Amino acid sequence: MNFGVPFIILVVAYFVGTILERRHFDDIRRREAEVKNFPVLTFETLPTDWQVGSAGLATGSVVVSLDYFKRVIAGLRALVGGRIKTYEPLLDRARREAMLRMVERAKREGYDAVVNARLETSRLANSRGNGKGTAGVEMLAFGTAITLNKRW
Amino acid sequence: MRYVPRQPRDDVNVSKEHPLVEASTLFIGLSLIFLAIAVVLILLVDVVLLFVSPDKEVGLFESWSLSDYIATDAEDSRLQSLQGLTDRLARHWPESPYKYNVQIADSDELNAMALPGGTIVVTSGLLDAVESENELAFVLGHEMGHFRNRDHIRGLGRGVVLSIFFAALSGSDGGVNLGSSLSDLTLRGFSRGQEEDADEFGLSIVNSEYGHVANSWRFFERLGDKELGVATYLSTHPSPGDRVNQLIQQAGGNGWAVDGAVVDIDW
Repeated sequence: MNFGVPFIILVVAYFVGTILERRHFDDIRRREAEVKNFPVLTFETLPTDWQVGSAGLATGSVVVSLDYFKRVIAGLRALVGGRIKTYEPLLDRARREAMLRMVERAKREGYDAVVNARLETSRLANSRGNGKGTAGVEMLAFGTAITLNKRW
Repeated sequence: MRYVPRQPRDDVNVSKEHPLVEASTLFIGLSLIFLAIAVVLILLVDVVLLFVSPDKEVGLFESWSLSDYIATDAEDSRLQSLQGLTDRLARHWPESPYKYNVQIADSDELNAMALPGGTIVVTSGLLDAVESENELAFVLGHEMGHFRNRDHIRGLGRGVVLSIFFAALSGSDGGVNLGSSLSDLTLRGFSRGQEEDADEFGLSIVNSEYGHVANSWRFFERLGDKELGVATYLSTHPSPGDRVNQLIQQAGGNGWAVDGAVVDIDW
């Protein structure tokens, strides 16, 4: 049986995936530091001492996909169950990237904070395999961007 | 209300374990589990088959279509005389529960094998290599010896279970392939003792048929002299030199004549 080609893809996917992931995390951390002072909160109701000037919708979304290595390991994991550890960094990147995009956009548009922030995710069906496979996952961050008349 | 700026933490939602550690743990662990299952299944099949009576065995493997596993050549002109010779030899073991069905495998390898249900497979390569009927008769008698000792259903579990595993791995759902090549089936080699017992039975059959055992080991002498440069037969059978000595001893021990008229092969 010919396992050679899948094995080469596995090795290549691991190295490429690892490098891309490390670079993405570095980028995320750098940008998070830049917007550190921009509040993103989950309040539905604002504190009474906040004076809101204007409000708008802020969104940020990202679509991520698995690499072959993660897919294979997750496949093995699915046999015995347990935490799919190879997916964890992928989804962590997706959440933080989506939040960053939302924040960066809100900041660029002159807002001071995002309240009632939410994360939503949806699976993109694979066009092959009768839509059974997963082509990727969309992570959507959204919230109410506000300007404040009086800053704390 | 004050807002305290804080950066997200890296270590909450992502496991610290290196992906390669997880990969190797899963791979090795699952391999060990599958191996254990395979070993248990193999032993189970082997043990169960030991309790199957020859009659049941014939019924069990009746619908077993050999051509699915081995490229047999039903058109080979030698098939009829080969079956005739087998039937003649079988008369010397009247209590045999098997009705022999001989098939010629289209292969250059030099080999013969006893398969469940009474099927004897001889390769066309071996038929090309034998020079007298006596040589061939011994090969057939030897395989009958495996039937008598029921060697042919021993060690079958390995082939069955491995082929099921490979079928599962390769995802083929077109039935279980009991080994796509001849060597897969014959890889279940027999022990030296099993081979010696089968040899002695083969000699006794040849002796009953011809009144002597002349030329029974001529084939192996040629194998040993490298006139027949094929390694396959050796991989599943004892080395030719040892075997010739062992056959001479067995013939002497039983008082079988080692000289006599040799019958030419009629093809």
